[in-house]
Amino acid sequence: MSRPLAVAVLAGLGLLGGGAGSVPPVGAQDAAAALRAGDYGPLIAGLQSRAREAPRDAAVHRALARTLAEVSRYREAEDAARSFLARNARSADLWNTLGEVLHATGRLDEAAAAYQKAVSGRAADALSAEANLAVLRFERGQREEAERGFERLIDAYNAGGDLSSEDLAAVATACRYLGADDPQLFKDALKAFDEAIGADPGNLDARVRLAELFLEKYNGSDASATLAEVLEANPAHPRALVAMARVRDFDGAPGVLELVGRSLEVAPNLPEARVFRSEILTAQEDFEEAAAEAQKVLALNPVSQPALAVLAAARYLQEDKAGFEEAKKRALLANARNAEFYNTVAEVCVRNRLYAEAVEFAAQAVALDPRSWRGFGILGLNQLRVGRIEAGRKNLDASFAGDPYNVWIKNTLDLLDTLPQYVETRTPHFALVVHGKESALLAPYVAELAEEAYQTLAARYRFRPPAPIRVEVYPSHGDFSVRTVGLAGLGALGACFGPVLALDSPSAREIGQFNWGSTLWHELAHTITMGASENEVPRWLGEGLAVLEERRAREGWGDDLTVEFLKALRDGKLLPIGELNHGFVRPTTPDQIAISYYQASLVAEWIEAQKGFGAVLDLLKAYRDGRATAEAFPSVLATTLEEFDAGFFAHLRQRYAGPLANLSEFEKELAAGLALVNQRRPGEAQPRLEKARALFPEYGGDNSPYWALAAVYKERGDLAAAAEQLAKLTAINERHYRAHRELATLLEERGDRREAAAALERALYIWPFDAAVHERLAALGGALGDHARVVRARRALVALDPVDKPEALYQLALALAEAGDAAGARREVLRALELAPRFQRAQELLLRLHRGTAGASE
Amino acid sequence: MTRAAWAALAAVLAGAPTAAAGDSHLVIVVGLGGEKKLGDAFHQTALAMIGAAEKKLGVSLANIAYLGEKAADPSVPVYRGRATRESVQKALASVAQRSARGDLAFVLLIGHGTAQGGESRFNLSGPDMSAADFAPLLDALAGRTVVLVNTASASGDFARVLAGKDRAILTATKSPMEGNQTVFATHFVAAFSGEGADADKDQKVSLQEAFDYARREVQRHYEKQRRLLTEHAVLEDQAQGALARTVFLGTGGETLTASEASDPALLALRQERREVERRLEALRARKAQLAAEEYERQLEGLLLELALKDEAIRRRTAERRP
Repeated sequence: MSRPLAVAVLAGLGLLGGGAGSVPPVGAQDAAAALRAGDYGPLIAGLQSRAREAPRDAAVHRALARTLAEVSRYREAEDAARSFLARNARSADLWNTLGEVLHATGRLDEAAAAYQKAVSGRAADALSAEANLAVLRFERGQREEAERGFERLIDAYNAGGDLSSEDLAAVATACRYLGADDPQLFKDALKAFDEAIGADPGNLDARVRLAELFLEKYNGSDASATLAEVLEANPAHPRALVAMARVRDFDGAPGVLELVGRSLEVAPNLPEARVFRSEILTAQEDFEEAAAEAQKVLALNPVSQPALAVLAAARYLQEDKAGFEEAKKRALLANARNAEFYNTVAEVCVRNRLYAEAVEFAAQAVALDPRSWRGFGILGLNQLRVGRIEAGRKNLDASFAGDPYNVWIKNTLDLLDTLPQYVETRTPHFALVVHGKESALLAPYVAELAEEAYQTLAARYRFRPPAPIRVEVYPSHGDFSVRTVGLAGLGALGACFGPVLALDSPSAREIGQFNWGSTLWHELAHTITMGASENEVPRWLGEGLAVLEERRAREGWGDDLTVEFLKALRDGKLLPIGELNHGFVRPTTPDQIAISYYQASLVAEWIEAQKGFGAVLDLLKAYRDGRATAEAFPSVLATTLEEFDAGFFAHLRQRYAGPLANLSEFEKELAAGLALVNQRRPGEAQPRLEKARALFPEYGGDNSPYWALAAVYKERGDLAAAAEQLAKLTAINERHYRAHRELATLLEERGDRREAAAALERALYIWPFDAAVHERLAALGGALGDHARVVRARRALVALDPVDKPEALYQLALALAEAGDAAGARREVLRALELAPRFQRAQELLLRLHRGTAGASE
Repeated sequence: MTRAAWAALAAVLAGAPTAAAGDSHLVIVVGLGGEKKLGDAFHQTALAMIGAAEKKLGVSLANIAYLGEKAADPSVPVYRGRATRESVQKALASVAQRSARGDLAFVLLIGHGTAQGGESRFNLSGPDMSAADFAPLLDALAGRTVVLVNTASASGDFARVLAGKDRAILTATKSPMEGNQTVFATHFVAAFSGEGADADKDQKVSLQEAFDYARREVQRHYEKQRRLLTEHAVLEDQAQGALARTVFLGTGGETLTASEASDPALLALRQERREVERRLEALRARKAQLAAEEYERQLEGLLLELALKDEAIRRRTAERRP
């Protein structure tokens, strides 16, 4: 099924080019220049001056009040509006603006009355007031009245006439709300916004609202482009900054908090900024601070629905049931049909990996409002995450039917349409879902490793997650991204939703970009620690344990010590344990995520080294019981966070004293050595590389001295030394495919077939699609008398769908016969002969099997 | 018995039932090269085909005709002069005259093609030839199995226009729009002259196998060159390959010595093998209608039977060879 992507089509309607900046009615050029510099001060001062000079000029007063409201100076905004109205009792022109201020500060009855006066008084912005009144009613659950109001705006548009930019933006807002019943109206909303911007390119408010509409539909690229235009005209536009922060959050890009911070500098009380900051803080598991942010909004506007929702979410995550219920009661009292309350709580749960809880909240949202298409979407997406595929699809279909412009939902449904191309393989504890074109090759390897990981981790953590755990393997990274975050472009390789894992197939990436085996092990470790802590394990500990378990699983797996990590340690930039979550959720630099993964693994390792693995289990229990890190550490580890940090960082400085002291020299020697290698001067390169190796022997990056030295030694004919370098490199670097293959070659040349085969087996966890590697494994297995290895390699070769398939099947049959599996051999030789009935060697094997003369003895 | 007769007999006895159980007649037409390098390459491809047909597939030299760029080429015994519309018409008329019902007429066009008004044209000295020009020539071969392989660029139209009963039409491109120089001819000829095309390992290369091999190698060639595939070969036999699977040029590669061909026991065994192969083909055709277990049971029985026949044939052949 192909779904037209409505938003993309609409985006094609196009916007006008970059706006000329805000064009207030007074001092336009100066004001625009000030705003381009991100400075509201001169604009407000200018407007105040003009307002004093022209007490009856509604446009000036309106601009002043609105600008003050824009930077959240609501009391001054209200004063400005009231001052005008007091002096101009017969004018209706400032009632709408006053209503907006009252609305923003939670005085809803007064706001409604003010809007009404603007409408009945036929103010210049009466249509805007009509839209505002309808929005207010919608927010109070008076949906029918709200819809009648929105319809009046549509009528006004259809009646023609000379509508201002603001009027057109009001019409667009009406279309946006009415779109819940008729999704075609979303298209009209975009059209009206487009016309509003066309009528006044300086109408930044219309552009911000348009961007917010794009964001609502998860169309990040159009939202970003629209906001860029706003921020070019006014880099300090508070709501644009928050919206841009949301775009970045959505893209997983850095700088989210910085943008929110910039917004709050300009507009310290902006509810959108505070609410979003609260959401981010919950993701960082800083629930108290998140609640405090929500309270700040509520202090200004006690009925703010978004603030009540994030407050409730923070309380829920704190396991403060009374606090949650109180916030919920307040929210539903204000609007008994407030599905968005549950949707927001569900989304915050998702940020904290509580997918089952997200399902429950989203279900309540759609029960409350059967037209909550967002609710159906959240419900469906999270049902998919917990493995309820069919129910998830049904709800996503419902969401898409109601709102076909949501990119995330469309992408996910398109992905679900490809599921019939996937093959499900069951093992004792797993349902492996692998694309049909790769299943025959990959599923046996995934099955073997997954079961090994299950047994190992379940025993260590004394927790056995319920079977089957669903493991989805995607040959397209775009599909993996859609499955995990709804949009293409996620940088991760694997994702864990608890009972469901999603991974990139090795074919989704270039060779050497990742090790699928360690990734699978990592994600399964999450399943275990999330299960053992009932999803309460903090991000840093979950990631730290997952990386640590990778290192335990196979030599070389897991993150390694890097130059960047050492520099962060040297410069005091590693995050303290209380803030380590920020490194994952809101990294401030591009390399902070990788550094945080490695640091977290060292923290987990250090805890175990100091207190034993039992302490790790006790920590998980403490988190399960609702304790925060600051409480769990003293009670389980008998240490405060500060004491822990002091001991841990001292340990790191001691452990890495050598490379820390030699870091600059290491970089210098390595660069010099590699340059000499590139200049084909191996004799001169060797001592520089050897020195670099001695200075930082733990360094296993792709440009490590080991790789270059292996080539130098090999060229000199010293194969033993070359093999030694490659063995050291592969014991650190899990992704270096060529090193594994080259090591196998050198080992085989030296007669060490067993280790050669082991190196090739490790290479399969990086890239299992190379027929030559499987051929070599089959040959090595044969020479070692390792029939199981030969059979596995031969099966892989068949699965690779070779040109000469009869030959591959015959070789598999032969291997099975030699392994004593006559029935298997018979089955495979018949498959070979079905394709090539007169294939002589296969015929001969069939006859031997038939006569009972084939087998291991031959 | 002449060599050609032996080849014909061998073709009958060699293996699976064939569409053309009689003589094979091969006409190779090399069109204008345009430049010397390409002209030489086309000529070498033609020579490779002639060599394979004669030496490997047992096609009588008397049944091979080669029309090329030159007026004459004494170094090539089967050379019949410059390829023009008239000479092509004469060569095919000659095949129609000399061949009998059940024979195979195999026409191989090597060179450049172009599209004019959406119609494929094979470039010759003088007027080019379109598919429509070939139509009456092929019609005159009724009763024979006809294979026409147009390896030129922009050749796709030939498959559509010339498809018919007892005909297999192969083109290097899927439409007249694919106008870039093709590499199909080299790989198609290599299927007969080299190793690797015998996918079912019956020691013979069927037309279908040659086509599959060539198509695969063309794809590999483009991948190796890191170029987008600009030629998509087509085989049209109006039977989803059922005809092409049973068409073998000459013996297809499997030959019998005179001594073997005169051994009644061996001939009987071969006849029995053919019968098993027929049953096997019939079983495969019914695969979708049978339960999997039943299909596998019958398949195993027939494959065992076939293996025993081949074993007996090999034993008997070994006994008769010095």
